Formats: sequence, structure tokens, C-alpha cells
Amino acid sequence: MSGTLSRRKFLAASAAVTAGSLAAPWVARADAKEITALLITGGPLYPKYWEKIVQDFTAKTGIKVRYDLLEFTPLTAKVVTLSAARSSQYDVYSTHTAQIDSYFNHFAPLNSYFSDSELADFYPVAVKYLRDPKTGNLAAIPRNMDARVQYYRSDIYQEKGLKPAETWEELIDVGLKLTGNGHYGLVVPGQGDPAQRTFSDLLWQAGGDWVDQANKPAFNSEAGIKALTFYRDLIQKHQIVPPDAVGYQWNENSTEFSSGTVYATFDWPGAFATLSNPETSRVVGKWSTAPYVRDKAAISCAISHAMALNGQSARKEPAVEFIKYTVSTDAQRLQFDQFTNFPSSQSLAKEVIAAAKGPQATWLQQLETTIANGKEWPKLAGFSKVCTLMFSAIEQALSDQASPADSLNQAATEAEEIMRRAGAYD
Amino acid sequence: MSTVVQHQVSGRRRRSPLPYTWQRGYLLASPALLVMLAILIYPLGYSFIMSFFRWDLSGSAPFIGTGNYTDELFGRQFNQALRNQTIFSVVSITIEVVAGMAIAVLVNGKLRGMRLARTLLLVPPMIAPAVVGLNFRWLFNTQYGLVDALLRMFNLPDIPWLNDPTWALVSVIVADVWQNTPLMVLLFLAGLQSLPQEPLEAATVDGATPWQRFWHIVLPLMRPVIMIALMLRIIDTFRTFDVVWLMTQGGPGGATNLLTVYSYLLAFQAVDFGHAAAVSYIALGMSLFVLGLLYGVPWLIAKRRAI
Repeated sequence: MSGTLSRRKFLAASAAVTAGSLAAPWVARADAKEITALLITGGPLYPKYWEKIVQDFTAKTGIKVRYDLLEFTPLTAKVVTLSAARSSQYDVYSTHTAQIDSYFNHFAPLNSYFSDSELADFYPVAVKYLRDPKTGNLAAIPRNMDARVQYYRSDIYQEKGLKPAETWEELIDVGLKLTGNGHYGLVVPGQGDPAQRTFSDLLWQAGGDWVDQANKPAFNSEAGIKALTFYRDLIQKHQIVPPDAVGYQWNENSTEFSSGTVYATFDWPGAFATLSNPETSRVVGKWSTAPYVRDKAAISCAISHAMALNGQSARKEPAVEFIKYTVSTDAQRLQFDQFTNFPSSQSLAKEVIAAAKGPQATWLQQLETTIANGKEWPKLAGFSKVCTLMFSAIEQALSDQASPADSLNQAATEAEEIMRRAGAYD
Repeated sequence: MSTVVQHQVSGRRRRSPLPYTWQRGYLLASPALLVMLAILIYPLGYSFIMSFFRWDLSGSAPFIGTGNYTDELFGRQFNQALRNQTIFSVVSITIEVVAGMAIAVLVNGKLRGMRLARTLLLVPPMIAPAVVGLNFRWLFNTQYGLVDALLRMFNLPDIPWLNDPTWALVSVIVADVWQNTPLMVLLFLAGLQSLPQEPLEAATVDGATPWQRFWHIVLPLMRPVIMIALMLRIIDTFRTFDVVWLMTQGGPGGATNLLTVYSYLLAFQAVDFGHAAAVSYIALGMSLFVLGLLYGVPWLIAKRRAI
């Protein structure tokens, strides 16, 4: 029983530790009463929300959930990496409509876990764009809806005798009347995915679409060029939008309105709670909501935060139970109460709209109309890469590096080649 | 007992071409080597292999030879990133080396306050690039930024630092120069302080001006230090990501897309790992080529002279 460590003992101990580490994931996997999840967070309330959801779920089912929280961008990067590595580290992922086409082969189809009547209660637009158009497989189930309405400074509008814009022309007119003395009539984002979302809304409103009947790029149509020209002119010609908007994403966009610098914007449901909170808003009680503007059509995006099952998961049954719980009426109601996130369940949405009063009721009605008429860009093979191309094309037009027509025509040529290579036309 | 051990050891010696001490050395180093293989060599090799496949998340990953490389080398976005990378590297390294040398010579003098200046020079390289990126993003904001506010104080027009393609590239170069010039100063200062004094004193006695002493004596003697500084900065500029990502995310319209940013967008936005890996290896090849030129050309010249 000497106290000294011999080389043999050291090597044996090292081998034991290594073997233990390597075996740990399999040992953990063997426990069917515990699942793992990578979940979305954002803001100080989210961790408490997930804590409550997981506690309630465990109390009801006896299934434990070990989870990690990440904000949207790092979460997306991590899901991409784990999917590429065919990792089974997490059984459940938070996901989103935006990039869902990249995961069609990595998320397990949820069709068989939800009955037709259960699926019928979700907003059709959400379910439609979470399905693989080739196979019909449902890659994820919507947890809450994301759509935008107009937020405007009711106090300033009243003072100047203005009404919130309903059309593109009115948006310019009202913006021009409000811009000056360090204030701007409108703010729109101009970088990356938010710029593509904004262009997308304008494209549909102008009567265009991303692809034609044969799934060939059609965003460079007359409607597309009109939409991008209008978008660019808001910043460069009419200058009713802050010049830095060319580099803005959603956060900067929301902050410009909540700080009181800008008098109108188009924002997501979460803005309703943020703008009502004195800790996050300087304009509490000074704003109101209105429908999104329209041109030929009144269409804007209706997408959703969703939950997906990892195709590599060895514990699919308990994982699906958790997914079902996160989209249950109780969980969605809690989400609405805490973050004003709009439910993906139509029946619950109707309930919360009926129970709401005053400005919140008006806002919920506006949101529901947007969702009912909403669209999303196509989930064709290779479209995620087309999105990266579009970020650059839209930014080039917004920053006057190229004309809208040249930007879109070049992007359309490259997009068709990308989708062809990815097998969108096979 | 010791005789038996001795016998076994000598027996081993006869069977293996390696001496026992070497075997023991390899055995003890093997855990570290295994870790190195696992976390460095394996991913590098894996990503290199990946660059020859159509590697997205579509399920199949067919071998396409050099397809990803040719796509990128003839692609518009890659060539824009390559152009940006070249401008960024050449301009920022030139400014950093020239300004770094000038400041090092100044700080090396026996002027008042130089000790404080040397201490302050440590600050920028100590700040995380992500923090530098965020700070410069706010400094260059047209509405709220300090830089345009100062311009307005002097009745000068606003500059759209991050919104105009040319100014955006200038802005990221400024941020890089601000962070890395002090590092050059410190390197050059260490070199200047270790120079032999005799040639300088002899030149002074012979009536050489300060400029002549610097140009004909200091600069040639500092050549090895300058080469190291250039090497470090070339490697660094080809790896620059954080500052640019936080200031512009490669925008507007790809105007500040460097090869690293472009590769990141391909991997995590376009979910196209094959092309992203190819771009990374092209960037690696380019930095190795530039470093080869840096060291190879003087070596060839010296060799020719010797012949």
C-alpha cells in the first residue's frame, strides 16, 4: 500500500478515465427517462419560461429534460454544426421556418406523431412551410407565430394630424412630414436576413413572388425591381429612414423606435411587450399599432418558431412527448402571457383575441389578419444558399453599389444555378 | 531483480531500432500527441477532404473533385472577398509596419512621458477583437457616433462610414490598424533596444544625420524583426473575423467580406460546408504563398549573389 504512483497505476487510471468518458454518452443514452434539448432564449424572461415548462413536463410525465439555451443566431450555427456531424447530443431542437429546408434530411418527420385534427388546429401557413415540399414530411411543429404589424408614435401622429400609412405612397408622404430635427419617419432594417425579409414583403405586396410555376427564380420580375427600388428609395432618395439602416438588423431597428428617434416601424409580436415595458422603452404609452402597408396586395411574411426532433435521437418517443408539451395550449398560453408571442394554435389564438381588450385586442386582430394572408419564401433545395446571395444583392442596391435591376438580375442567374446544382429541378 | 530488468531492457534494445529512452519518451508524450491528432490534425484533414465533396445537409455528399475550388475561383462573391482581403491585408499591414516603426523610434528616445506611452501601447492589443469591433461600430455610427459628431462640430459633412462600400472598408482597416499597430511598436521597440550601439556611434562620429543612421544602419539591422512582424501580420490578417463581423457582417453588399467572413457565411448561412472548406484552404494557400514569397525571394537573391 505504498503512497507512490507507479507508471502502471498511472496508465491504468488514465485508461479507466478515458474509457469512462467514452462510455458516458452511451450510458446516458440508455436512460430513456431523460432527454436532452437545445432551446432558444432571448431576454431575461426566457430562462425562467423554459425552467417552468421543463418542471411542469417532468411533473406530468416523469421524463427529465436536460437542456441548453442559446440565442437565435448561435443556436442556428450550433444546430447546423451538430446536424453536419450527425450528432445525437440533443434529442430536441428549437428551430425556425427561415432555414428549415437545410434540415429536411436531419430532423425526423413528425407526421406520424400528430393526428390530422391536431395539425388542423395549427395555422396552415406555419405547417405548410415546415414541410419538405418533395416528401411532404413535417420537419418541425410550430410553437408560436412570427408576423409583423406597423408600430407608430400615436402621440406625434395626433399632434401633426397624421394617420398611419396604409399604402406605399402614404408611407413616403407620412415619413417626409415626420422626418427632421434628428428624427426619422420610418426605420427598416437593411442587412442580412432582416433585409431579405423586408424585400420579401415588398415583393409580394408589389404582386411578385420568389419563384415561378417551374420553381425558376422570378424575384427579378418587374414587381421585384419595383419593390427593391421602393425599398432603396426610402433610405437613399426620400431619406425618411436613418442612413445607418443599411447596416441594421432587427435589434437596431427596434431600438430606433423604442428610443424615440424614429416614429414608425414594422416589428414582430415581441415588440408589443418590449415597448410596453419602461425598462426597455422610452415610448411607453405613446405608441399604437396599425396593419402593415400594402401596394397591389396586402401580404407579408408569416413564419414560426418551431420544435424539431433530431433524426439521430435514440429516445424519440419521450422527445416527441416533450415537443408535444411545448406546443400544448398551456405552454403557448404561458408564452403569450410572458412575451406576447402569438400562438400557433388557431383555437388558442381565437381565445386570447376574445379575452384581450383595448389596444392589445386591436393589435392581435391585425396580427391574425397578417398571418391569415401571410406567406414565406420557398423551401426548395439550395434556397438557403440563395438567401446568402440575396443578402448581398439587396444590400448592394440599398447602398447604391448597383441598381435594383442589375442586383436582382445577377442574383437570379446565380440563384437558378445554385438551385439546379442542389437538385431543386430533379 | 535488477539483473532481470536489465536483461529485459537490453533484450528490448536488440529488437527495436529505437533506444529505450526514446521509447519511454514517445510513450509519455503519446497522450499529448493523441490529443493533438484529435483536435488539430484530424479536423484539418477532415475539412480538407470535405472540400472535395458537395457537403451540405442534403443527405448525400458526392465526390466532385476540385469542383468547389473552381466554383469559388471563378465565382463573383469569392472574387469580391479576395479583392477585399487583398486591399485589407496590404493597406493595414503597410500602415501598421510603417507607423509601428515610426512610433517605436519615437518611443525609444529619451523624451519625457515615454514610459507612460509604452504602458499605454499595451492597451489596444489586450482588448478582445469583439470588443474593438463593437466600439468601432458605435464610433462610426452616422447618427450617434463620436467621429461624425466631431466632424459636425467643425461644420464638416457626415461620412457614411459603415454604409458606403468604400468607407466601410476604410473603417474596418482603421479598427485593425488601431488594434495592431501597438503590437508592431512593441516588437520593433524590443528590436531597437537590442541593436548593437557601436555602428551607430561610429556613424555619428563620421557625421551621419539621424535619417542616414536610420536608413543605412538601423533598418538593415532590424530586417529580421521586420520579417517576423510581417509574417505575424500576414497570418493574422488572413484570419481576421471578429472585428469585421461585429462592425459590418461583411456588408454593405459584401463590400467588407473578407475570406474568413465569406467562408463563415457559406458554412453557417448557406449550409454549404464543401465550398466553405474550399474557401478556407484557398485562403490558407494564399497566406502560405505570400509567406513563401516573403522569405523565398530574399533567399533566392542572396543565393544568386553568392554564385
